[in-house]
Amino acid sequence: MPGLSSGQGGAEGRWQSSEVPGTHQHPPPPCVQPCCRPLCYEQSERRLHKSLQMKMEEMSLSGLDNSKLEAIAQEIYADLVEDSCLGFCFEVHRAVKCGYFFLDDTDPDSMKDFEIVDQPGLDIFGQVFNQWKSKECVCPNCSRSIAASRFAPHLEKCLGMGRNSSRIANRRIANSNNMNKSESDQEDNDDINDNDWSYGSEKKAKKRKSDKNPNSPRRSKSLKHKNGFSVCTSASNTLPLLFSSSGELSNSDPFKYNNSTGISYETLGPDELRNLLTTQCGVISEHTKKMCTRSLRCPQHTDEQRRAVRIYFLGPSAVLPEVESSLDNDSFDMTDSQALISRLQWDGSSDLSPSDSGSSKTSENQGWGLGTNSSESRKTKKKKSHLSLVGTASSLGSNKKKKPKPPAPPTPSIYDDIN
Amino acid sequence: MVVSKMNKDAQMRAAINQKLIETGERERLKELLRAKLIECGWKDQLKAHCKEVIKEKGLEHVTVDDLVAEITPKGRALVPDSVKKELLQRIRTFLAQHASL
Repeated sequence: MPGLSSGQGGAEGRWQSSEVPGTHQHPPPPCVQPCCRPLCYEQSERRLHKSLQMKMEEMSLSGLDNSKLEAIAQEIYADLVEDSCLGFCFEVHRAVKCGYFFLDDTDPDSMKDFEIVDQPGLDIFGQVFNQWKSKECVCPNCSRSIAASRFAPHLEKCLGMGRNSSRIANRRIANSNNMNKSESDQEDNDDINDNDWSYGSEKKAKKRKSDKNPNSPRRSKSLKHKNGFSVCTSASNTLPLLFSSSGELSNSDPFKYNNSTGISYETLGPDELRNLLTTQCGVISEHTKKMCTRSLRCPQHTDEQRRAVRIYFLGPSAVLPEVESSLDNDSFDMTDSQALISRLQWDGSSDLSPSDSGSSKTSENQGWGLGTNSSESRKTKKKKSHLSLVGTASSLGSNKKKKPKPPAPPTPSIYDDIN
Repeated sequence: MVVSKMNKDAQMRAAINQKLIETGERERLKELLRAKLIECGWKDQLKAHCKEVIKEKGLEHVTVDDLVAEITPKGRALVPDSVKKELLQRIRTFLAQHASL
């Protein structure tokens, strides 16, 4: 038939161009495109034609053998690849003509600058990525050096500031030791929490002690707020018996238990030791030479043992904490306030000799406007300590009013009056 | 005789092509191929080749015809076997589905 090779652009010899001449209803118009895009135009034209012509005849594909199907598949594939190539060529051509084809090219020098580093120990920019891993910080509290990543958690525990951590830990300790004393556990925990609160301002010479019902959290809180500083509301009379750093302890051979590793009190400061003894059993084991870290009602040790330890560390007048903590646990009220309230003030100047404590005590008494009455005898007992105990029979109410007043410097006249 | 056979052959091919377009399978195949080619780096390779060609010719004298003539053979050759196999498999499946029509 004459029209057999009438397909346009048949130079490629592809099957699209070998159209059946008899079925041509509308011969494709000649290529009117500029020479720039002949292929695309031709292809689309051809497809259009085929779809038109196929509408007229429905053909059955059955009867084709496998080799023919395979050949057709190959042709379709080649067609698709060519399409992709064509699309890519258009893309590149447009990029070239618009001038952005070479935009992502940079000169080799700057490429070298930003090369990705692939070496062990370096990140992709060539920086050492674990240079902070080995950094250590020295804890200002316990003077140990701690890895920087662990410093914050350590500090929280070391200072006992974190509410949750210390509370949970202490509760766990208390619970594991006396499971059957849930009520007293609660009291202990309150003590502990109060200690946590008070640590930061301990050193500011604002230490107070209330003998009467120290375990009530509400009370301690109100004290804190009214006085404008935190109050150490440890549960016992042992608090005033801060052990003096200079005299007593060294006299009584403090390094007797040198080989202890865990809770070793010779590494503890006076504050820490006192806190420990007011919240924990503290009895020194014969074997390990460590202090018992369980609660004050630890069943392993007797009250006698605990008393002995406290006397050993804090002085002869140490009293077991639980003696006082057995008092009622209700909140601050008039009966509370009228009861004997021993307030402890620590002037923080550890260089005071025991004989000075009398004067410091009185000066603080004056400064705080608190009467000294019922605990005079106790005060004299504890003169050696740097804490001065101020028994305040006056109510807390009076204390409230005096709150904003800072401790006044000692004045000899009042000193003489009191003494 | 020969002419009629060729006629029948061409008719069948045209019918298949028609089906490909009508069902949208051709577009799907094209999209699949494009994604696969980008994925396997074919486009980047071809682009590098394009850069050489264009630098050779000079930026001002680039035509689509030149590009097609230079790029298409290379592009065909650079298609990875896995992509080719997958595509062919899909075409065969399509043919098998529509061979019984």
